[in-house]
Amino acid sequence: MTILMPEPDQAVLARRDEIVASLRRIVPGEGVISSAAEMKPYESDGLMAYRQPPMVVVLPSTTKQVSEVLRYCYQHGIKVVPRGSGTSLSGGALPLADAVLLGLGKFKRIREIDFDNRAVVVEPGVTNLAISQAVDHMGFYYAPDPSSQIACSIGGNIAENSGGVHCLKYGMTTNNVLGCEIVLMTGEILRIGGKCAENAGYDLMGVITGSEGLLGVITEVTVRILRKPETARALMVGFTDVEAAGKCVADVISAGIIPGGMEMMDRPAIHAAEAFVHAGYPLDVEALLIIELDGPQVEVDELIQRVEAIALGCGSTTCQISTSEQERLLFWSGRKAAFPAVGRISPDYLCMDGTIPRAQLPLVLRRMTQMSEKYGLRVANVFHAGDGNLHPLILYDANKPGEQDRAEAFGADILRLCVEVGGVLTGEHGVGIEKRDLMPEMFSDIDLNQQQRLKCAFDSEGLLNPGKVFPTLHRCAELGRMHVHGGKLPFPDIPRF
Amino acid sequence: MDTLKVRDAQEVEDAVRAAIANEQPLEIIGHGTKRRVGQPMATNAVLDLSALNAVVAYEPNELIITVQAGAPVADVLSLIDSKNQQFAFEPMNTSLLLGTVETEGTIGGMIAAGLAGPRRIKSGGARDHLLGAHAVSGFGESFKAGGKVVKNVTGYDLCKLLAGSWGTLAVMTEVTLKVTPRPESERTLVLRGLDDVTANRAMTQAVGSPYDVSGAAHLPGSALRTTGGALAELAQPDQALTLLRLEGITSSASHRAQSLREALKSFGATELIEDEDSAALWRAVRDVEPFAASGPRALWPVWRIVCPPASGGAFGQALQRESGGEVIYDWGGGLIWAALPPAADAQARALRQRVDKIDGHASLIRGSDEVRASIDVFHPQPGGLAALGQRVKSSFDPRNVLNRGRLSRGPAA
Repeated sequence: MTILMPEPDQAVLARRDEIVASLRRIVPGEGVISSAAEMKPYESDGLMAYRQPPMVVVLPSTTKQVSEVLRYCYQHGIKVVPRGSGTSLSGGALPLADAVLLGLGKFKRIREIDFDNRAVVVEPGVTNLAISQAVDHMGFYYAPDPSSQIACSIGGNIAENSGGVHCLKYGMTTNNVLGCEIVLMTGEILRIGGKCAENAGYDLMGVITGSEGLLGVITEVTVRILRKPETARALMVGFTDVEAAGKCVADVISAGIIPGGMEMMDRPAIHAAEAFVHAGYPLDVEALLIIELDGPQVEVDELIQRVEAIALGCGSTTCQISTSEQERLLFWSGRKAAFPAVGRISPDYLCMDGTIPRAQLPLVLRRMTQMSEKYGLRVANVFHAGDGNLHPLILYDANKPGEQDRAEAFGADILRLCVEVGGVLTGEHGVGIEKRDLMPEMFSDIDLNQQQRLKCAFDSEGLLNPGKVFPTLHRCAELGRMHVHGGKLPFPDIPRF
Repeated sequence: MDTLKVRDAQEVEDAVRAAIANEQPLEIIGHGTKRRVGQPMATNAVLDLSALNAVVAYEPNELIITVQAGAPVADVLSLIDSKNQQFAFEPMNTSLLLGTVETEGTIGGMIAAGLAGPRRIKSGGARDHLLGAHAVSGFGESFKAGGKVVKNVTGYDLCKLLAGSWGTLAVMTEVTLKVTPRPESERTLVLRGLDDVTANRAMTQAVGSPYDVSGAAHLPGSALRTTGGALAELAQPDQALTLLRLEGITSSASHRAQSLREALKSFGATELIEDEDSAALWRAVRDVEPFAASGPRALWPVWRIVCPPASGGAFGQALQRESGGEVIYDWGGGLIWAALPPAADAQARALRQRVDKIDGHASLIRGSDEVRASIDVFHPQPGGLAALGQRVKSSFDPRNVLNRGRLSRGPAA
């Protein structure tokens, strides 16, 4: 591992048997997993380059059990790592050797569907897709659609503020969640919001969303559902240079059109995807845009024409418009399979995730090509072009000595570049452990201290998912100190992990 | 009143540090248009941000604008309007309701108050459009939250907390906001004479339809009797109006209006109002024109009640009957503005008991100093949540120097 985690607390490890026995009293039966073999599946999340067996796995099935587990851990100074389906790509659910892994997989019930208030109340282990499926018969759906939606859980979506192709138009998780039941590290159970459009007091739901499991454990969620658009059609537009494709994206938006989805692939990604799914992608282009318009038929038909004209004006060399649902899905099939497709042409790859101002796209792609030469590693690009969220895939072979380190250094350079051009370190995967040590690229110590103070308001002992998101851990007492007369707030120089 | 007009973020920092050192809390204002919302503040030192009023960057193609907190809302709106863009959450102009000078206030105030207009049901609130901010905490430190791109999950989303915090967490100095294209045209369907419960059903059906309704409001006849402006032109004596808005490219807005009209046939005949006339109606709804401070209800306290949208009609009907007040409904029934006959507590106790039963919350937006000093202006929260809110406040402002006392009457608030 090139990322250091906090040193395990030997005193806690020495008490492991006693801890396991106590947890079994709270969650009886098969709810506590403690054998090395059975804990194996929990060693990592979607960021599989990093693995760490947990001290013990607990799978509660009621809010009361979650509360009791947390209270027990709080009282005994034991760290807790919450986990949903484990599809996070940034290591947010990576276990710690001296921590309880708290899995929410048994929270699988859809508790209430309320079409009149356009709200669904679910437990956190329900998959993203299952929510849409549960309301589909009435023509509704849940808008955020991360590509892992078949597997990822709504609790994890809240932890990561997940998005997807649709979020350009319909927002991310944070824009589609109304309320939750949350258990704090002390075991205290709180209800935030409900079926109202807005909550009273500070927007705690807003800050919990995307907090990567560091503030509390979600045990129930109320989400907003939307009526499905009448229809959707897609254009597949090819360009012989990336700048023209970038201009097309900007022109569509400045024409006042917000597509349901607008995705771009570069040449290596197009070739890999085409070889994998045979979607009919043109192979002689440098960039391919898939633009989807959704809404009433009359609107979609008109906007398709407007977008086609814009694409032609930007010098597109190919432009196909879907004429059937089957064809629309075919256009998408390559984009949606881009990650596994790239997996076929390389033994390993790193999937990066940063956001840039769209206008910087040509520059960023040029610089990435230069970096690719410098590091001697190939890179393929798929990204959410509409909102500037890049996913460079860095291809490497973990069996070749030094390649993984090189790939990681390459990835870090890409993220630094994103920040340098005015963007951010992560658009949708979260910081986790993957981007933790890059946080100072974007935030000053003061910025990070303010974030950590907020953490203290929820978790004063720093027991919930420590070692994630923040490169340097502070104790809450230190963060609360204030010394204004000298004009500076002193913080002891605490070493990094 | 001691007013300090700051010119840059450094001066804000200095002012907050001085406030901490002197144990002198600050009231933070832009144009001061919403000063009388909230509990009366426990300070007479004012930090005035209106000189921090520059547009830092506007990039229409990126759908973002960065402005200093004191920038006038009206100027910013006219700037983005020149590029056919808007703030999708349709911020409310409180001057009509509160009887303040004719200004829409500043961007900082707009975000700090977070009062979204009718498009809330489709596009979210101020919180959903604040991408990044620079602010000075109650530690006297400038910090950055969020970023300048539309998609960002780097670190905690502190912007969500700043939006709607009424200046109690930090002094925003610069904000980056998402802008969206302005719809090409708009259509409003008008249904006449529905009672509140039936109107709520019509709105529920409309908002749950595939026709992408961007505004659903109901104005009972009683609230319209005394109004002026665009609503008066449409109103007939004692006849309620139910308004449903469709926006987008012209062909689509017309088509959807037609489809929705068909779908709502059982609720009666509909009229169609287009573009400028429609826009005037929604401005009147957004700014709660029927309860304007210059009108006959000037002395009545005005409450803003947020509730599950489908429960709005029955709730509002009972509230009118039992309080002798008047209401108007927005957000498909999820937002109720209620003007209630004056009482020592502005009817807070009875109203809150009722609101709690439907899991809603009520804030007093217009009320006299005396009333605001004697009741909880913002809806009281259950113990655990209130305590967490207090810890959050302390994590930004431990000495409680920023807008002390504005949010709640608690000892440390």
